[in-house]
Amino acid sequence: MEHQISEQGNVVIASFEGDVDIHTSPDARKVLLDCVGRKSPVLVDLSQVSYIDSSGIASLVEALQTARKGGSDLALVAVSDAALRVLQLARLDKVFSIYDTVEAGLEGIG
Amino acid sequence: MDESVSLDTDDQLAIKGISGGLELLSEMGQDFAASLDLDATLLRGIERITTYVGAEAGALFLLQENGTILRCTASAGATEITGLTLASDEGIVGRCVQTDTGTIVRDVAKDPNFQNAIDAQTGFTTRSILCAPLSVKNEKIGAIELVNKADGDGLFGDDDLNLLQTLSASAALAVLNARMAEALVEQERLKRELELAAEIQRGLLPEASDASFPVHGVNLPARTVSGDFYDYFPLDDGRICFNLGDVSGKGMNAALLMAKTASLFRCLGKTIHQPGRLLALINEEICETVTRGMFVTMIGGIYDPRHGSVRLANAGHEPPLLHGTDGSFVGFPADVPPLGVMPLMSPDESFPEVEIALAGGSLYIFTDGVTEGYLEDGSEMQTEGLKKILADNREQAAPARLQAVISRIDQKGTALRDDLTLLVIDDGTTYAERLADPATADDQPPAADEETSEMVLHLKFTSRPDRLKLVRNAVFDTAMLCGCSEATARDIVIAIDEASQNVIRHAYKGASDGQVILDISREKDDIVLHLRDFAEKVDVSKIKPRDLDDIRPGGLGTHFIAEVMDEVVFIPPPDGTGNLLRMKKRIS
Repeated sequence: MEHQISEQGNVVIASFEGDVDIHTSPDARKVLLDCVGRKSPVLVDLSQVSYIDSSGIASLVEALQTARKGGSDLALVAVSDAALRVLQLARLDKVFSIYDTVEAGLEGIG
Repeated sequence: MDESVSLDTDDQLAIKGISGGLELLSEMGQDFAASLDLDATLLRGIERITTYVGAEAGALFLLQENGTILRCTASAGATEITGLTLASDEGIVGRCVQTDTGTIVRDVAKDPNFQNAIDAQTGFTTRSILCAPLSVKNEKIGAIELVNKADGDGLFGDDDLNLLQTLSASAALAVLNARMAEALVEQERLKRELELAAEIQRGLLPEASDASFPVHGVNLPARTVSGDFYDYFPLDDGRICFNLGDVSGKGMNAALLMAKTASLFRCLGKTIHQPGRLLALINEEICETVTRGMFVTMIGGIYDPRHGSVRLANAGHEPPLLHGTDGSFVGFPADVPPLGVMPLMSPDESFPEVEIALAGGSLYIFTDGVTEGYLEDGSEMQTEGLKKILADNREQAAPARLQAVISRIDQKGTALRDDLTLLVIDDGTTYAERLADPATADDQPPAADEETSEMVLHLKFTSRPDRLKLVRNAVFDTAMLCGCSEATARDIVIAIDEASQNVIRHAYKGASDGQVILDISREKDDIVLHLRDFAEKVDVSKIKPRDLDDIRPGGLGTHFIAEVMDEVVFIPPPDGTGNLLRMKKRIS
């Protein structure tokens, strides 16, 4: 799993690539919690995620809860089919705000 | 000398009357005794009497419809009035029947009381009437009426009445006898039909199996036919499909519903190997067609002798009892109502199933006729009593154990309170075989079906998180190779990945040197996966999908597995150590 962090205006964008699984999700979790710790709205780009498991989903949920507790927000953008399937299985596709593109995400969350 | 033998005409007539009458009586008696057709015999009787007494016409009336009407059931001579009905006290016939006395109206022209009830309907002119009651003791049966003496002045005399009364008394007895015989014949016919039904029912039960066969049953009806049933039959893959049920009520209606339910199970059970689905389908069928208020409590299941596991669905039936090798008893109560009570929300739904590891023990399934059966001292057996008998007889072979229970309730000379039915699935023999041959355990896929299954992947890996990417890739490729769509292959990957995580995190508790074996085989239209570890036994009851309304990290994996796979069960590992998860997914 690879990741990249960028900023656009006041929004932090975290992009992941590859498999987010039991082996890599501890890293993903750390990255996500770092991002929401900046107290800025966070967009998580999942377009390049080829696989995400329950531990990856759990990290996303934890980050979302932390963001909302801190008065901020977290949204998902460009969710890959593989990631969307797992979100649907977890019935979390209605809990997260999901945008088709980074641009739409910036407009929605910024 | 001439004088001593010469008799006057009246005397001759009287003697002819008596001797001929006796002859006629004897003939009629034989006729009635030999005949099964009462109406035809009555017709011959009235014809003979009419001719013998020398009347123009005769009719035999019987009381019918609870004695409210008199119907002419046979008539002879000048008028045909068979079928004619009168009120039971109407006319001379009615009066004769009600007063139970013979009547003669020698000349109707001189009888002011004569109201002609029949002439009006027949156009016949009545001049003289004889009427004698048909009765035996106090039971009124009807009457015989004769009209118009054929010769002489056409009028009857007292001798004619005496003769008719003698003949009538005999005819009445014959009618009564014939009726009793008819009732007996009917009773006999019903009894034969019931016995035939019982024979057909017994044919629905499986034949007694060899002592070495793991499943045995016994059924003892309280009456001729039974509302209980059980059945078992081997499937092609070596597993054994079984059921036991109890139809509400007893007698013929219960027996018919029993036959229907048992047939449905046997027919559908050969192709549908998910007990919950099978019972749901039978429930649909019974709900659609059953008489209101009737229902069936039933357990359907499949026993796998290779793993000593039973998967069953329980629709409102008495909890089956597992008698473990350690002497413990565990019950498995139903959590859905009996069949025929309520259709499921969707026709695709299934009844819940429970997976039971017998581990050498015996699973007993029985009807309430057993637990509510009376013991010798008049008390009910109850579940505790049943447990005690089973425990006391544990060293016996399975059929002897069932017999021990039955013999405590079925006492000579007393009618059973309810049908008694018991079924046992005895894992003892195959358990010993499994223990004796643990070599098959490690590397062999446990549930491989030689004829229809193809082993596609056998993968051993250590319990390290960084191995799962490799496992996922292998599983994805294997699933695609088996003909799964990409989406299905991805779903199978999710299930295996989550199941492997559970092994690493929960079974091996994070230890990275545990061994995990994954076997994937193709069985007809299914892809079957077995994931085996060698860690301590996991309490299966604690592994359940989390409540999705409770959104928080963790606990999701098991839910994913249950969502994407068609079948997920923990089965006892062949040599008893570790955990074995079996998952199945339809390929298309």
